[in-house]
Amino acid sequence: MESEQYLAANLRRAVAEDPRTAELGVRITVRGDNAMLSGDVACAERRALIEEVLREAAPDLKILNDVRVTPAGEPEGEEDLR
Amino acid sequence: MIRVAAVGDIHLGEDMRGHLRPALENVGERADVLLLAGDLTRHGTVAEAEVVADEFADLPVPVVAVLGNHDHHDDKPLEVTKTLQDKGIHVLEGTTFTHRVNGCSIGVAGVKGFGGGFAGKCGSAFGEREMKAFIQHTCDIADDLRGALSELDTDIKVALTHYAPVPDTLRGEPPEIYPFLGSYLLGEAIDATGTHLAVHGHAHFGTEQGMTPGGVRVRNVAQPIIRSAYTVYVLEGNSS
Repeated sequence: MESEQYLAANLRRAVAEDPRTAELGVRITVRGDNAMLSGDVACAERRALIEEVLREAAPDLKILNDVRVTPAGEPEGEEDLR
Repeated sequence: MIRVAAVGDIHLGEDMRGHLRPALENVGERADVLLLAGDLTRHGTVAEAEVVADEFADLPVPVVAVLGNHDHHDDKPLEVTKTLQDKGIHVLEGTTFTHRVNGCSIGVAGVKGFGGGFAGKCGSAFGEREMKAFIQHTCDIADDLRGALSELDTDIKVALTHYAPVPDTLRGEPPEIYPFLGSYLLGEAIDATGTHLAVHGHAHFGTEQGMTPGGVRVRNVAQPIIRSAYTVYVLEGNSS
């Protein structure tokens, strides 16, 4: 069985280097049969694509997809640096 | 007083045309200039750059950008730069942009930046060709930033980079990867040149606020950190 550390490292590389995802800002933690994903992506489609890439790379893992979609609305207030 | 809007790491793709535009329509009421701190695209393709260019075209405030590592991934940084410039975006790499608002002048010096790490925990231009090239790239960029900041003679001076000039704004990232997230050489250039604010992106798990060893405020404006289309800083110049 592949060690969890190597598996997590290989999955992170897959998510970073696969052109469908190209996400360097997603953390992947593997414990037993579970893989937890965390971090932020720009839209909901990319959140789903990460899962797709991981399912191809490790079909037997249960994926807990806790990745969030970054809000892109107007800011609230401002920071005064004067 | 000048209001500086800023955001980085928007990672727009061809699937995201118009994503930020609704939140940008009123930027002129909130800010006097908009800074983009790199990683504007996902893969650095010209098609993605066209999406970015349209997103920030014809805004009521000047838009000033640097590229990030994602914007280099397709090995076409010059084409990406030209695509943005064709829509009126000022793309900096060792160069400056100046603007005057209500009698107060602001100057922005921008570079992509690069890694290498921070004082006491950084790489050196020694050993293998690849290692020397890695660190030399950072040294060259830091020299460019220092030169560009030195040229500015404005009431307010802002350094715009993609990579981080200090470790403060990386808190939340694993310390082991700090050498891939920024370099103290950028901070040294900022401290040597009377700069008022340093704005960067790149570190999605970092924190917004930090300070250089010389006391210059640093802000990490990566979109996953600021959690909005942009954020706004209000600055006061030396003579205003």
